[in-house]
Amino acid sequence: MRYNQYDPINILLADDDLDDFTFFNNALSQISIRTNVMVVKDGEQLMHHLSDNSHKLPDVLFLDINMPRKNGFECLAEMKLNIELAKLPVIIMSTSVEPEVVSRLYNDGAKYFIRKPAEFSQFKEIIYQTLLLIRKGSVLQPNISGFVLTAPPTIVT
Amino acid sequence: MDKVKMDNIVALKSKQKIKQQEKWAAALAFANEELIFQNGEKEKRAAELSIANIELAYQNEEKEKRAQELAVIVKELVFQNEEKEKRAAELLIANIELAFQNEEKEKRAAELLTVNKELLAFTYISSHDLQEPLRKIQTFISIIQADDSQSLSESGQHHFDRIKAAAKRMQQLIEDLLAFSRITTTELKFEVTNLDAIVKDVCAELKDTITENHATIITDAVCEVKIIPFQFRQLLYNLISNALKFSRHDLAPAITITANIAEGKSLKNTKLSPNKSYCHIAVKDNGIGFEPRFNERIFEVFQRLHNKEVYAGTGIGLAIVKKIVENHNGFITASSELNEGATFDIYIPAA
Repeated sequence: MRYNQYDPINILLADDDLDDFTFFNNALSQISIRTNVMVVKDGEQLMHHLSDNSHKLPDVLFLDINMPRKNGFECLAEMKLNIELAKLPVIIMSTSVEPEVVSRLYNDGAKYFIRKPAEFSQFKEIIYQTLLLIRKGSVLQPNISGFVLTAPPTIVT
Repeated sequence: MDKVKMDNIVALKSKQKIKQQEKWAAALAFANEELIFQNGEKEKRAAELSIANIELAYQNEEKEKRAQELAVIVKELVFQNEEKEKRAAELLIANIELAFQNEEKEKRAAELLTVNKELLAFTYISSHDLQEPLRKIQTFISIIQADDSQSLSESGQHHFDRIKAAAKRMQQLIEDLLAFSRITTTELKFEVTNLDAIVKDVCAELKDTITENHATIITDAVCEVKIIPFQFRQLLYNLISNALKFSRHDLAPAITITANIAEGKSLKNTKLSPNKSYCHIAVKDNGIGFEPRFNERIFEVFQRLHNKEVYAGTGIGLAIVKKIVENHNGFITASSELNEGATFDIYIPAA
């Protein structure tokens, strides 16, 4: 287990949906990367949490778009204006892929866009692959064609 | 004086007198003649005047008649004028009424457009939001199947497979509905495009299916036309994948895709304007076809002619095709006989 030798990845998850939180947590517990997860339930909480912890930001933020009080778009736009927060890699998670939504989020600086697959094994794989990218520390935004991460073929383990 | 002398004088004098008298008589006679002539002239003139008088009287009568006639005509004209004014007033009212009706119709059309847009937006949003709970159902099923399959009975496992298949189908329906509503809700950007490039692109995407089905595809679609490229790509994708899907079991699919520009009068469609030029695109296959009575219905949303266990599908593909053709102000027809293949003819205004 090559990646266990690293420090755990500090993940901040912004999602108000209990089921999605369960899937996310289950996926993390089943992959071979150590992680610490912190959860916020809406956009306002997210922004407060980030400004309170600006000295110790997480390694990555998984951001849901449809959240109460302040949605993912608004949060992303605010973060873009803050010199520190703008550096935080943001991974969008969404059920559907709309071309307009995707290009808006890309332009607002999100790093990747995950289309949540229906199959849990695929979801697990996609989270794993994403965390590998974060671990590599590649902070540059990919080309728009590599922005959306969809379900990879199910890998039999 | 002597008497003779006196007599002579008297005689002379009387002679003179007579001469004088004769002169007068002659003068009188002359004057008389003159008077008679003048009289005659006057009578002639009087006769002429009387004729002229008669003529004048006649003319006068005529003029009075004419005046009377004119009076009648004037009355008639006044009446006609009045009628025309009335009619003009009526027309004015009718015009106002028509203008009002026109306005109402425009309002109604605008309302319908809005309602239509709202409906599509509703379809879009609802299908969009339906995706999330459905995805969760599918994810939970996949977790149960992965973690708990041993503790499930055989029929329980079978039922989970069925739930999975049904959820998968629902997902497909939602995605197709979304695609259908997106066709009208997104902005339309027309670009001059070569159809051949799109056809080749779509065939490349369908390469695996084409190989699996041993299908042959013949294309002759070098044709430049102003279209919405991504929509036309979807249109051709739907038509070609349909042609591959509805193939005969005993016959490898053979699909011909042609495109050319021609005038309306030389094309076989009565809806076309004879002197306008159109890009005619035809997609022809040798598949199972359909009964001619379905040639309109197949373009309706959710219309399917086959059991979905045999030919999978949501019945939205051709509705999307039709919508795209309408977005291009074009026409589409389908012609077929059962087991005789099907032909889809599309006519898009060129230039």
